[in-house]
Amino acid sequence: MAQLIADRRDVDFVLYEQLEAEKLCGYARYREFNRKTFDLVVDEARSLAIKEILPTLAPGDREGLAFADGRVRVPECFHRPYKLYREGEWTAVTADPAVGGQGLPHLIAQAVGDYHLGANYAFTLFGWSGFGAGEMIEIFGTPEQREMFLKPMYSGRWGGTMVLTEPNAGSDVGALTTTGRRLEDGTYAISGAKIFITGGEHDLTENIIHPVLARIEEAPAGTKGISLFIVPKIWVNADGSLGGPNDVACTGIEEKMGIHASPTCSLAFGGKGQCRGLLLGEEHKGMKVMFHMMNSARLLVGAIGFTSASAAYLYALDYARQRRQGRDLEKSFDPEAPQVPIIRHPDVRRMLLWMKAHVEGMRSLIYYAARLLDHIRCESDPLQRDYWQGMMDLLTPVIKAYCSDKGFEVCSQAVQVYGGYGYTREYPVEQLLRDVRIAAIYEGTNGIQAMDLLGRKLGAKGGAVFMNLLQEIQRVIARARGLEPLAGLAESLAQAVERLGQTALYLGQTAMSPKLRTAFAHATPFQEVMGDVVMAWMLLWRASVAVPQLERLVGPAAGEERGSKIEGHKQAAFYEGQVQAARYFINSLLPVTMGKMTAILAADSAVVDIPEAAFGG
Amino acid sequence: MKIIVCVKQVPDTTEVRLDPVTGTLLREGIPSIINPDDKAGLEAALRLKDRYEAHVTVLTMGPPQADLALREALAMGADAAILLTDRAFGGADTWATSSTLASALSALEYDLIITGRQAIDGDTAQVGPQIAEHLGIPNISYAEDLRIEGNTVVVRRQYEDRSHILRAEMPCLVTALSELNEPRYMTPRGIFEAFRDRTVKILTRADLAIDDGNIGLKGSPTRVMKSFTKAVRGKGTVVELDARDAAGWIIERLQEKFVL
Repeated sequence: MAQLIADRRDVDFVLYEQLEAEKLCGYARYREFNRKTFDLVVDEARSLAIKEILPTLAPGDREGLAFADGRVRVPECFHRPYKLYREGEWTAVTADPAVGGQGLPHLIAQAVGDYHLGANYAFTLFGWSGFGAGEMIEIFGTPEQREMFLKPMYSGRWGGTMVLTEPNAGSDVGALTTTGRRLEDGTYAISGAKIFITGGEHDLTENIIHPVLARIEEAPAGTKGISLFIVPKIWVNADGSLGGPNDVACTGIEEKMGIHASPTCSLAFGGKGQCRGLLLGEEHKGMKVMFHMMNSARLLVGAIGFTSASAAYLYALDYARQRRQGRDLEKSFDPEAPQVPIIRHPDVRRMLLWMKAHVEGMRSLIYYAARLLDHIRCESDPLQRDYWQGMMDLLTPVIKAYCSDKGFEVCSQAVQVYGGYGYTREYPVEQLLRDVRIAAIYEGTNGIQAMDLLGRKLGAKGGAVFMNLLQEIQRVIARARGLEPLAGLAESLAQAVERLGQTALYLGQTAMSPKLRTAFAHATPFQEVMGDVVMAWMLLWRASVAVPQLERLVGPAAGEERGSKIEGHKQAAFYEGQVQAARYFINSLLPVTMGKMTAILAADSAVVDIPEAAFGG
Repeated sequence: MKIIVCVKQVPDTTEVRLDPVTGTLLREGIPSIINPDDKAGLEAALRLKDRYEAHVTVLTMGPPQADLALREALAMGADAAILLTDRAFGGADTWATSSTLASALSALEYDLIITGRQAIDGDTAQVGPQIAEHLGIPNISYAEDLRIEGNTVVVRRQYEDRSHILRAEMPCLVTALSELNEPRYMTPRGIFEAFRDRTVKILTRADLAIDDGNIGLKGSPTRVMKSFTKAVRGKGTVVELDARDAAGWIIERLQEKFVL
């Protein structure tokens, strides 16, 4: 059977060979885990994903959602896997066991997520939502709130949402008009209309807990005056039991391009004047709380882009090996020559290697970020913890934007590999392409991410965090320089890193000059080139792990002998794939990135200068 | 009620690929799993545990790595696990395997022993019935349904074209088909507990009262005359027709080949 969703060999490579997951067991918090437990958890996550979740992907898309009388019905095929997902306690695997979690390292949970998200993320978001929203209550809630909400939310008995967007307050969340009015009993009367709420209403859970951003009367304008409220669909009594409906009405769901099985809801709070909420955190400081969930959600959306790409790549690869069309290039004029699998054609190989390099680079980056979360969680030295936190903050917009953009592009390439069949519903890649498109938009558009990177993250701590990142990349370059087959690639990456440093400095300075608008016109290109350099870092890192293994397995053989040794040895072929992916990315794609950086450094201002009338139309 | 489930750790043959050039199995890196029929047997035992508070012990014979299969069984909900491991047990055929397992079982208390019908890496279907013979207890094989009534086990035994309902007094042995049920998934919590809080009891040659002539390679009368790889043939033809048209289609093909 071909590998589905995620290549298990590659998952293990990143976990154990690149990122040395077993070292995490040195932290007291993870002392009771070992390689065998990690392996069994990933095995079972994969098993559940392939046997139970993946089969819901196409039927969920075809059946879609039913909306009637304010109720949303999810596809029928979701109920069984959701029950299994809950019973298996996959909903909050990283949470502390004391509050109903499993205490699993984030790194291992990421491998679990590879399979669950990659199988059908429209489904898996239901399982994640209670935990995602619950984490805010765990960190910022009162002891009573934690007691009331955490366990049902972490166990998936109750769902959760993120309620920010309003018709006229999307990217500009500070413009929201939903209100919270203090009541005598300490609760707040919530009133307002929200849109684009994922999982805002559905029939998988007995209750849904909405964290709602709203403004208390007399609050200051803008984001600084926003508070966050816990607003249950069904009221929760102080003892945790359910009360009556809380005047939260679903007024409609969106008809969308993709994720047809994920309800995107319009919600009316307090239409009858009877909606109540509990303040989460302090008045007017809701954005700080909400940012905690938004950052998690941004990493999740990056992972959605990546896992969609991973699944699409494996489908395309399998198809390219099976599908026979055309003859070998050398025999293209010989009608007697046999048809060959399309993986033999250079242009198809180019597409596959492009996909492979991006998918594997993204896996390394996303797992690396998960390991950062483990360091942040476990590190006792505050300086070191600060160091990792800075790295996490800097990489968050890159992960969200780069992985969602490239995730879409990889899915598009997968359609291309399939040819005309790829555009039909008979094959799975067209759905992956439709479903992943939203990732570049929601949880802060990729344009917003680019502005966050340039406006906030690059200059953090006077640029020291960014310099730390470049230092981390230099470590891998130094290691690769010591390996003969990688020395040239190391030099190329060193040049790209130097150019990235110059570009960042220049763009950062420009952003603080009168040419501010020009700088921000180059924010997205900068985000892209930074993502490319990070990919090259990850791929060279992988190759530097692979080269010694390859030498061990293949020895000094060269030429045809080497080729046949690698062809007949699965492990050697895997490691050779690491070297070739790094070589392709750094030699064929990174020069384009260098060119893009030249363009950014030129800081052309056409984008700013063009009069609006000159856009035409 | 005390139930003992015998399981075998096998390579996951669904992950085995053929080398397209040589036609040989590419065994490298193939994960090990609990044999599917055995896993169904384990699930059947766990369902009896859920219903009747039965105590479930899982038993395997194999190399030290078979510990992992037992941990998986513990993670699914088994109460105890025993690993029979010794170099002296190596190279066993079905006779030596069943003799060794029966020897270990005879020192344990049980009302019901469940084994899988057969292992996907051997396909003999002999070990379960042989154990019953060694122990002198009734055996019902090919169970596709199983329930307890008083002191008896009632089993629906599968045949190609029919099934039999059979009843056996406990203690007895039942061999399970993978169609018996859908085994439960492990939970992360179950996995952690299986490694952290549970122990696997190890038994070696010295713990068994059995003759050397009945264990390992020496105790294995089976001789392999020849082994060969089946030629790889193309994929079959798949046609989707209703029953009547399908019958007509098959008759035409058979006539083409002068079978009819």
